[in-house]
Amino acid sequence: MEIIKTENLTYTYPIGKSPAFSEVSITINKGEFVLLTGPSGCGKTTLCRCFNGLIPHFYSGKLEGEITVAGMNVTEHPIYEFAQHVGLVFQNPENQLFALSVEKDVAFGLENLGLPREEIRERVDWALEVTGIIDLRDRAPYELSGGQQQRVAIASVLAMKPEVIVLDEPTSFLDPLSAKKIFEVISGLNRNFGITIILVEHRLDLAARYADRIIVMNDGRIILDGEPREVFNSEEARVVGVGIPRATQLYQILKRRGLDLGSVPITSDEASKMVRKVLTHLAPSKGFPTNYEVSTPVLSTERRESKPTIQVEDVYYTYPNGVEALRGVSLKVSEGEFVAIMGQNGAGKTTLVKHFNGLLKPTKGRVLIDGVETGSVSVARLARKVGFVFQNPDHQLFCETVEKEVAFALRNFGFDEETTRKRVDWALNILDLTEYRRVSPFMLSGGERKRVALASVLAWDPKILILDEPTIGQDYRQKERLMNFIMQLNAQGKTVIIVTHDIEFVAECKPRVILMAEGKILADGEPHRILTDPNLLERASLTPPEASQILMGLEDLGFDGRAIEVYEVSKLLLERLKVNSGVETP
Amino acid sequence: MSMFDGFKFRRVSSPIHRLDPRVKFLYVCVMFGVAVLFIQLIPLLVLFLIQLPLIIVARVQREWVRSMKGSVLFAVMIFVMNAVSLYFYGGFESIVPVIERSLAVTIRFLVLIESFSIFFLTTSPDHLGLALEQSGVPYDICFAFTTAVRFVPVLAEEAQTIIDAQRARGLELEKGNFVSRVRKYIPILIPLIVSAIRRSLELAEAMESRAWGATAKRTNLYVLKMSRGDYYLLAASVLMLAFSLYVWFYVPIPSLSDLIPS
Repeated sequence: MEIIKTENLTYTYPIGKSPAFSEVSITINKGEFVLLTGPSGCGKTTLCRCFNGLIPHFYSGKLEGEITVAGMNVTEHPIYEFAQHVGLVFQNPENQLFALSVEKDVAFGLENLGLPREEIRERVDWALEVTGIIDLRDRAPYELSGGQQQRVAIASVLAMKPEVIVLDEPTSFLDPLSAKKIFEVISGLNRNFGITIILVEHRLDLAARYADRIIVMNDGRIILDGEPREVFNSEEARVVGVGIPRATQLYQILKRRGLDLGSVPITSDEASKMVRKVLTHLAPSKGFPTNYEVSTPVLSTERRESKPTIQVEDVYYTYPNGVEALRGVSLKVSEGEFVAIMGQNGAGKTTLVKHFNGLLKPTKGRVLIDGVETGSVSVARLARKVGFVFQNPDHQLFCETVEKEVAFALRNFGFDEETTRKRVDWALNILDLTEYRRVSPFMLSGGERKRVALASVLAWDPKILILDEPTIGQDYRQKERLMNFIMQLNAQGKTVIIVTHDIEFVAECKPRVILMAEGKILADGEPHRILTDPNLLERASLTPPEASQILMGLEDLGFDGRAIEVYEVSKLLLERLKVNSGVETP
Repeated sequence: MSMFDGFKFRRVSSPIHRLDPRVKFLYVCVMFGVAVLFIQLIPLLVLFLIQLPLIIVARVQREWVRSMKGSVLFAVMIFVMNAVSLYFYGGFESIVPVIERSLAVTIRFLVLIESFSIFFLTTSPDHLGLALEQSGVPYDICFAFTTAVRFVPVLAEEAQTIIDAQRARGLELEKGNFVSRVRKYIPILIPLIVSAIRRSLELAEAMESRAWGATAKRTNLYVLKMSRGDYYLLAASVLMLAFSLYVWFYVPIPSLSDLIPS
């Protein structure tokens, strides 16, 4: 039975020149779990806003075509009528919780409906129970982690007992373990209560396994709609730049090299099973050497021997409110190194890097930048050497044009006009922003604003570049671009430090990894060692990269799992195959 | 450390926290009235001391001590200013009554801080919003109030992040003369305002999606009900007011200097 049906739906925002999406015709049936994906700006979020009447009632603009939700024509009924049928969960957990306690927040919608108090109480308790946050009922939203906040948001719409729950990139701000929990909660709602789920996501590795159906949008149109395996394995998905799950990528690589796994896997478990089958099938009687030496790809670590540019010596930091954010951190970063600082929110990552440009001074211990103690110089002096790009570009953009924005720091540092002009031109050029130089930064898309923020820091050519959570809210293509850019900067000799919990991004960049938890360094070293140690990662609320999870499922066959991305895995498998079958693979 | 530490709500489970905010508010008003009524040292000292058990019962003594410490500077200023002006213009012949009077004014200030901090330390903003709602204030206003309270810490944190982001781009807030310093706040204010607007839009969207305005007759998950403790406090406050008025009208209050044999 259909619950949402659109026919030739086209919508243009009041300020938009072209439609945000056009001629969308879809039918979503009751009980389906639909994954909606596509590059940033493709119209996914806008489409979701139609499902509960935010468009056209809250946003005006021009809506053409037909849309019915739960049997009601969206244009003819007010938003609050849809609230009982369709629940919307948004990207930023912070901006959808209004009340001062969890319980009160979950009750908000029910109170608005004017339900009897006893029924509200009952439904609130039920929703808290189902989402697993009953213990948090009296807490204030700001005391919760992002993952907990997002579960409160889900409980809040769940309490309205909707038939459909639409989630718009609910895990963007979360670490992999919290994201996984969110997906498990919504998958449970789908299975146990038959609630239709529409999930907008970029993180397909984690989300794909729960979906029955995938819809891919690009440029305001639906380009693919079907069963996950088919969609991921299609040529269009690759061209558009959808984040195809690593397991599927491995399948494709192996196939290109002449090894067919039979069917398309979308999770690491499936891939492990299929590989196992192929390996045993090709060499059924031989048995497997358990002491087989797997050649681990060797990374150059020589760089670290060159002279240190950042020295952190037994640093403690306590915030004025008494929170101990760093508890005895020591590390050295050499010139030209590429470092990823990883760990869960609240592990002290951002606090640590804020010491590198003097924004924070240690409570105890000391930090030296090129031999100079940070306590003795101003932030402005240190900033010349250490560029810091903050997570959210909106926290720094304020000028009327992109050009002025990029020149802002140069003026602060007292560069002359001629140099400023040259540097601005250079920075705009390398970040592909030249065409926007006279445009207001506020008119640009999220990805473009992020690039302006990066350009405004790169302009003064700092020796050390720090990027705080650079991949948050970025789609697959943007991440790929960012990765290439960072690698290029690093190759040119810049010291680059990224703070992130995006494990796949790190697995592909392969920097030195520093793992933090509770204000201390858990591990520091080569990514192949750290990212493949599940126990270590769990303490930092991370999970191993998909690729190494595939190998971990084959541990008994002698693979030690020390590969972190699909190319490494495919290489190991093909090598093994050669040994087992004695057959040369092309 | 500041005297405002004593005004931030602390979530503790105590009999005082469970009291009806309306009654607590009445109590604060009575304390305020009585403290203003008297100018003599002895009754003000009594007012100061009789509130201490409440603080202990509410288990907020640490926050209270902090706010008292934070008030020291103000208290000293009040004392000195009163003493100086009374000494020169008050027409007193000796120094003792001057000191006594100034001390009384200072204690009065501390009594006010004390009673307000009992109220704010033990009353959650949620309860306060509820009290407003049940006192007939329109829901829109109550909602605006609790939401504002909810976002104070969020915005404070955001402002700090913006300051950090601009300092990382070489902005030096503490340099220059007054005019140029004020101008330096533009790079902080604009992102803060833009992000607040963005945030409010998102909030509005989330509110709409959760049936905001579906019915004029909204229910509330909680109801305030007067319990036994509330009636006790109510009675105590009324008695306190009556007793104070009686004393004020009929009982001559000795000053401290009269009690000390000279």
